[in-house]
Amino acid sequence: MERIPILRMGNCLIVAIQVDMHDRLAIALQDDLTERIVKDKAKGVLIDISALDVVDSFIGRMISNTAAMATVLDAETVVVGMQPSVAITLVELGLTLSGVSTALNVEKGMALLQQRRR
Amino acid sequence: MSTQIFRLRLEREKDVVAARRTARDIAAGLGFSALDQTRIASAVSEIARNAFMYADGGEVVFAFDGASRPQALLIDVSDRGPGIRDLQEVLDGSYRSSSGMGRGIAGTRRLMDRCLIESAPQRGTRVSMARFLPPDASRLSIAELDRLARSLGQQAVEAAVADEMQQQSRELLSTLAELRDRQDELARLTHELEATNRGVVALYAELDERADELRRADMMKTRFLSNMSHELRTPLSSIRALSNLLLNRLDGDLSAEQERQVVLIRQAAENLSDIVNDLLDLAKIEAGKTEVYPARFEVPALFAALRAMLTPLLTDPAVSLHFNDAAGLPALHSDEAKLTQILRNFVSNALKFTERGEIRVGARVEPDGENITFFVADTGIGIAAEHQQVIFEEFGQVQNRLQQRVKGTGLGLPLCRKLAALLGGYVGVNSEPGLGSTFYVTLPIQLPVDGASETEMPGALQ
Repeated sequence: MERIPILRMGNCLIVAIQVDMHDRLAIALQDDLTERIVKDKAKGVLIDISALDVVDSFIGRMISNTAAMATVLDAETVVVGMQPSVAITLVELGLTLSGVSTALNVEKGMALLQQRRR
Repeated sequence: MSTQIFRLRLEREKDVVAARRTARDIAAGLGFSALDQTRIASAVSEIARNAFMYADGGEVVFAFDGASRPQALLIDVSDRGPGIRDLQEVLDGSYRSSSGMGRGIAGTRRLMDRCLIESAPQRGTRVSMARFLPPDASRLSIAELDRLARSLGQQAVEAAVADEMQQQSRELLSTLAELRDRQDELARLTHELEATNRGVVALYAELDERADELRRADMMKTRFLSNMSHELRTPLSSIRALSNLLLNRLDGDLSAEQERQVVLIRQAAENLSDIVNDLLDLAKIEAGKTEVYPARFEVPALFAALRAMLTPLLTDPAVSLHFNDAAGLPALHSDEAKLTQILRNFVSNALKFTERGEIRVGARVEPDGENITFFVADTGIGIAAEHQQVIFEEFGQVQNRLQQRVKGTGLGLPLCRKLAALLGGYVGVNSEPGLGSTFYVTLPIQLPVDGASETEMPGALQ
């Protein structure tokens, strides 16, 4: 079973989604991520979706749910690198990713996480 | 008038991903903008997922309508599922499903230019979507569509092959893991087996040691017996010689009482020397020191010699000794002295346990023509079946009322058994308690050549 790798940097976890995820893979990522937050006592999660050119309602909801779960586990979530067309489509689909912080790229995302920690 | 570009079956979860990838590729191929590509792919993803999740699969058909104004990409997703229950609410966007989903269809309607949903309970759902190319887009030729369809088909095949390869390598990996487990198990078993082997080898060594000890003890016994017999014979000879001197009045006269006593002394000494001789014979055979001297001899002469030797032992008139007619029996090539010893032992045994009647000595050629059997039949007390084996073992004696009267050590028959083995034959007994016993010895008429008998001897003697 394939998996999306989760990297740790300091007290942040970094996930770069490079493949078009099918639904089960998305759910597996959600499980892995929450587990790693607890195990590594992570305070921030950065999800890079710059490689995704399609985010439908299921993936969008997964991202939104992951952010909510991370918050409950005392970790901030920042989604970075969303393509403009994906953003437009998400809004047209009626998804707003409420409660999810976003940043333009990884650098700005990390800065945002550092700033919030202080 | 529309042209079908591609058809895709939704059978597995990954097919939903394939559907949206294909939708995107087609949209790109037809010249839709990046935003539209994402819209179309997202819409297909929503509807295809619905078909897969709620209807366990379906089919996606991509087609292009080049005749209409504007040109349109047509996407039909159909399934044979249970249909959509609250279609109107779903379309309104007011529906909230328990799984938190239910936004896909409403969203899709916003993403596409046209979206028609036909749903009949238990008969399935069919979603027909369309997205228009910009009115100013250049017209697409049939050839271009064909090329697009062909490249999609190629991609699908490649994806299938890659998928298959992935599946196979996964299987290979699991087989390898299994193999490693098997190897580990094997190594463990081998290890265990080696340990067991070592134990067995150690056990064998111990057994060998024991066998050596036993062999040594046996040798010691034999040596002891033969030495002691020698040591005993010398003083016995002195006693016999001295008592003979006394009886021959060489040292003066003896009173009648004294003579009786000296005769008793001599008799006892002679009995003892017989026993010692038997012991010595046994010991010699066991030590493998006995030589066999084969020679040619006739049975009648043997019987005549036996008769001469044994008649003096006949002291009781109630018992008679008969020899069968030995004419017509073949001449033997064997060790006459040893055969005589066996028969003398048989007869003296018969004399001991026969109170009245007769003792008959005879011989007959066995049906195979190569062996001859000598027998000594008596009308004595007989031997019970359970005792017939014991009497051939050293010092084996059967208690009976005559045992007290007669002397013996139980060495005679074992000696016979060993002598017979030396001659390549065997001894045996048939007996009926109260009626009598017949002891017999069966041996080859022609004693096998030395070489053969020598190799057989140790085995026969142990």
